[in-house]
Amino acid sequence: MKKTLLSIAATLILFFPLSANAAKTVKIGFINSITGKEAQIGENLTNGAAMAVEDMTAKGYSVTVVKEDDGGDPKNALAAYEKLVTRDGVIGVVGPYTSGSANVVASRADQYNVPLLVPAAAKEEITMKGYKNVFRLNAPANVYSQVLMKAVAAYKPKTVAYVYAATDFGVSTVKTAQDNALAMGLKEVANEKYQQGQPDYRATLAKVKGTNPDLVFLVSYDADAILLMRQAKEIGLTPKAFLGAGAGYTTAQFAQQKDISNLVVSATQWTDDVNWPGAAEFSKRYKAKYGKEPSYHAACAYEAMRIMIETATKAENPASLRTALKAGSWNGIMGPVKFADQSGYTNQNNHPMLVQQIQNGTYETIYPAQFSKKQLVYPFRR
Amino acid sequence: MLFFQSLISGLLSGGVYALAGIGMSLVFGVMNVSNFAHGDLMMLGMYMAYFAFTLLHIDPYLSLVLIMPVSFMIGYILEKLFIGRVIHHPHQNQILLTIGLGLIMSNSALLAFTSDPRILTTSYSSSSFTILNDISVSVPLLLSFLITCGITAILYLFLAMTRTGMALRATSQNRDAAQLMGINVSKMSAITFGIGTALAATAGALIAPTYYIHPLAGHTFLLKAFTICVLGGLGSVIGATVGGLIIGVVEAMSSAYLSTDWKDVVVFALFLAVLLFRPQGLFGKKGDQ
Repeated sequence: MKKTLLSIAATLILFFPLSANAAKTVKIGFINSITGKEAQIGENLTNGAAMAVEDMTAKGYSVTVVKEDDGGDPKNALAAYEKLVTRDGVIGVVGPYTSGSANVVASRADQYNVPLLVPAAAKEEITMKGYKNVFRLNAPANVYSQVLMKAVAAYKPKTVAYVYAATDFGVSTVKTAQDNALAMGLKEVANEKYQQGQPDYRATLAKVKGTNPDLVFLVSYDADAILLMRQAKEIGLTPKAFLGAGAGYTTAQFAQQKDISNLVVSATQWTDDVNWPGAAEFSKRYKAKYGKEPSYHAACAYEAMRIMIETATKAENPASLRTALKAGSWNGIMGPVKFADQSGYTNQNNHPMLVQQIQNGTYETIYPAQFSKKQLVYPFRR
Repeated sequence: MLFFQSLISGLLSGGVYALAGIGMSLVFGVMNVSNFAHGDLMMLGMYMAYFAFTLLHIDPYLSLVLIMPVSFMIGYILEKLFIGRVIHHPHQNQILLTIGLGLIMSNSALLAFTSDPRILTTSYSSSSFTILNDISVSVPLLLSFLITCGITAILYLFLAMTRTGMALRATSQNRDAAQLMGINVSKMSAITFGIGTALAATAGALIAPTYYIHPLAGHTFLLKAFTICVLGGLGSVIGATVGGLIIGVVEAMSSAYLSTDWKDVVVFALFLAVLLFRPQGLFGKKGDQ
């Protein structure tokens, strides 16, 4: 009797790990900007990805993540990808963060045939070249301007002024904004591209004020957003709405500057008050763990890493991982995810972007209506 | 309206650029050293103002009373330890040394304060008042400008009236002759570098309430300070003051009437024109380097 029980137990022990996911350790690469100019945003991605690894490990998945830093430099990103696929032998790679880096790495992914899952880079081109191994979770840059314009379209603005950073993201976002504005019949009254990090934008803003625009469309990073809005207040620039496309207008630091940031409208990939499964809970746990609000980058990195771990565990090799990523669909903190070939894109998740407005120091989702609890305050007032 | 608005904001921002330029120019004039760590010394001033405000709750403008002596001491010690050793060496050695010092400062700041930009928000950070119906004047920028004027005037009086000031000018004119006349030139160098550092840190602290504070923030201003010095004439305090104002106004005017991303082009075109037609700078003496 004793012997029988023992053998049953032994059989169970032998069989159990085979049936569970823990049987196999998958090796995944993660390229991110840990140092350099983009380090501040990079930290959000690091934290988000780390939380995904933790959660999946708790669920019984076994994973090794090889982290590489690109310092925000495409050259380093490419070197990191090559190292990951040739020396470390990873099955798939999550990253890199910046558009510049992601674009360069994407162009080589088909050569090495190891899937790349881009979590948060916005440049359209990345998934427009038909690369079979490149998948993107977030919405590309043209959606930023599209969704912002849609959110205010109902209020029938007449004129628009553009003020934006002379970067890849700034220029391409404004270009698509111009297309959308044209379709809406908006008249462009000013177009001001600026070099980042300047202390004085007053003359530019005074010029924009002189054209009396209904909408001011801004693309700025980090602290430039605060600087521009401070000086806009000084100069007395009051359009009907300030539209900030991503980056600097979606940080917690910006929202805290209540007297300059109130009622600024911005586009984002993710908010914590959206009704996607687990979003609110993710935000709560993130805050408890890292002591700050998660940015959309953190959510993107979390979901990208989670999808990669889940899919890679089932896959045998990079080729079957690619097939599985292409075939699968997920529903998590970033809403429904499905990598599809649509309107010129390849393996692009049709991610619904959100429009939010800062109301009394907090970001409130205001568009699309099915994901939001609050309404847009229009026109803008001081 | 746009013209006067741009003129006012250009003059006011130019004032702070001038302060950064004066420190650099003074160091060059007396010591014949191009200080490429100047921008990073400004960055130190920004952080001093930031921490004085957040930790000690001292208004950034009042904190100058603390920042100036502290940064003077830092500059004095830096000169005694490093800069003084290369004063008779070729320019490339001096440039390498100061760039190296700057890199050490900015990267230590990155380690210590992280790359998160800090925002110093005072009650008047984005306040302004209106003159002549429609021209807005930024309160913090105006305060910075007035303080700059005061400091420049004091510096000018110091150089013109005091014995130390006279000794500094003598050292600037001819180092060897000054030494033969019994002036302690190595002490003069240390004092000059101290003053230069104090001016850089002051400029940083004055910018802090209207700008953001970041370990690499000094680099933007280093290039400006250098342009100002060459424009005004290396070594000339008045030249640097006028140069700063010119750069501020030209920047504002070209953003207003050309395009914002052309303003650097205009500034450097002007810079090249001065180098071509008046290589010694607007207020420089012929024969200077």
